[in-house]
Amino acid sequence: MTRVVIVDDHSIFRSGLKASLDAAVEVLSEAADVDAAVAAVTEHRPEVVLLDVHLPGGAGGGGAEVIRRCAGLLDSVRFLALSVSDSAEDVVGVIRAGARGYITKGSSADDVNSAIRTVASGDAVFSPRLAGFVLDAFGAAAGEQAVADDELDRLSAREREVMRLIARGYAYKEVATELFISIKTVETHVSAVLRKLQLSSRHELTAWALERKLL
Amino acid sequence: MASGSLQAPHLCLDSRVSQTETSARPPLVRPRRAVIGGVSAGLSEHLGWPVRRVRLLLVVASLLGGAGILFYGWLWALVPLAPGETGDAEETPRRRAPIAAILLVLGAVAAIAAIVQANVEGSASTAVSLSLALTGGAVVWSLALDEHDPDRSPRYRLIIRSAGATVLLATGLLLLASNDWRPEAMTAVVAVGMMVLGLAVAVAPFIVRLWNELMRERSGRIREEQRAEIAAHLHDSVLQTLALIQNRAGASSDVARIARAQERELREWLFAGDGAPGADLVSELSEDAATIEVEYPARIDVVTVGESVPAHPSLVAAAREAMLNAARHGGGEVSVYVEAATSAVDVFVRDRGAGIDLDALPADRLGVRESIIGRMQRAGGTATVQRGAGGVGTEVHLHLDL
Repeated sequence: MTRVVIVDDHSIFRSGLKASLDAAVEVLSEAADVDAAVAAVTEHRPEVVLLDVHLPGGAGGGGAEVIRRCAGLLDSVRFLALSVSDSAEDVVGVIRAGARGYITKGSSADDVNSAIRTVASGDAVFSPRLAGFVLDAFGAAAGEQAVADDELDRLSAREREVMRLIARGYAYKEVATELFISIKTVETHVSAVLRKLQLSSRHELTAWALERKLL
Repeated sequence: MASGSLQAPHLCLDSRVSQTETSARPPLVRPRRAVIGGVSAGLSEHLGWPVRRVRLLLVVASLLGGAGILFYGWLWALVPLAPGETGDAEETPRRRAPIAAILLVLGAVAAIAAIVQANVEGSASTAVSLSLALTGGAVVWSLALDEHDPDRSPRYRLIIRSAGATVLLATGLLLLASNDWRPEAMTAVVAVGMMVLGLAVAVAPFIVRLWNELMRERSGRIREEQRAEIAAHLHDSVLQTLALIQNRAGASSDVARIARAQERELREWLFAGDGAPGADLVSELSEDAATIEVEYPARIDVVTVGESVPAHPSLVAAAREAMLNAARHGGGEVSVYVEAATSAVDVFVRDRGAGIDLDALPADRLGVRESIIGRMQRAGGTATVQRGAGGVGTEVHLHLDL
């Protein structure tokens, strides 16, 4: 049983989303703005928060603000960002704030359910588009590559390969088959990329984000 | 004579009655192409008199204490314009006589008379008033009537206005200077008034233009704000609903496809002008994907990485063919990944359908072999068609060195 809180300011979308969740997901609470979301997350301590990127209320920071204000809970509570658009500013903003994954609202019910399971088990959810952003932001397409594994500002060769396959529409399992590695290893790579995306001080990433008015 | 022609307005005011009584008589209207106001022509048409006789009567009546002029003005104000030739009520009346110029010349003559009179006799209020009325009339005529008259060039209007301003200013100054700068009190007041009016005429067009620009800018800003508000509202409500429909209906259902197409159209409208549409590879492929999505039960996700590169026609055509195949034979979710660098471009098209075996393809299926592989080879690139990961579906990989 995965316990979730749904945060979205559109009641129609909330009820539609709730109806599409499968039996293994229990909805503890719903919230429609930043303050209510922070209160609901703090009170219920869900495993996963389905978080709309655009939210009214609070200081106007939307979904990213909710994550920042719940920063102390990030060890036990995971945020899965939902957005109606897949623009770079929406995605990178929430991911850098601490979300563990990102899907568009138009994703099918199956995709949403599997994304919830993945995030709940501690792994990251990367849509093809998010993988594309990451490749772009880390200059991977131009051939930049990390020398050491702990380098934050560039992707390692393996991480780049994983990202490229995800961008090509491969599921984690398919990536594993293609690269002759285990699913667990794929998940480790994806989590490492997510960490880099959140912690990197890469100049281009910042400039890239600034250009799109993200930070 | 004036009393004779005064019967006409009676007919005109009861035009409905007069029409029933004397149906042979055409209605009293002013033609749109006239010498001055179209009153004489209208009257002659209505009464069945030659237009010369009407004009002569009016001129003679005018000499009798100005009755003809008053009568003319009265009819001008009350008689409606004839419908336009094209049936267009908006057609602007054209006036042949350059009334503004004539009034201006008369005003200037009166001004000279006034200056001479002021210097000789001291008081010149009649001539001054006449000059003021005539010159002011010329400017008003130019501003109100000639402005819309297609027969009057902008240059003509500019000359009238500047000449009017000059006459007013110069006359005012010369009147003030009369009698060795000691003009009679009444003349001085009128002279100052003339100069103020002259200045106003000189600067009025600029003020009007500034005002118009200000208003245009303001209404433009209001429109822009309104548009942004509508965009925000639609983004908040309609896009959410369209996303929900897609979420609930499944990727390849008709409903989801319609919702997706609608969402894309709405986005294009909302964010129009955000990105410059050009012959960019990515925008070309996205457009093709959108077109294919509408026709086939598939959802094509285009992910792009790298730089904006120009659309190579062969690459675009091969990619379109690959997407078409994927949508037609694979259906469902189709993933397109474009990686563009300055040196090379890679395009991956992947579906999750039954998959095709290139070797087992019947010879008549030229689609893949010719329009994808052959086309890429002719363009100096490569194309591989193989089974997707885990043996599911097909993946087409196009590569082109730039």
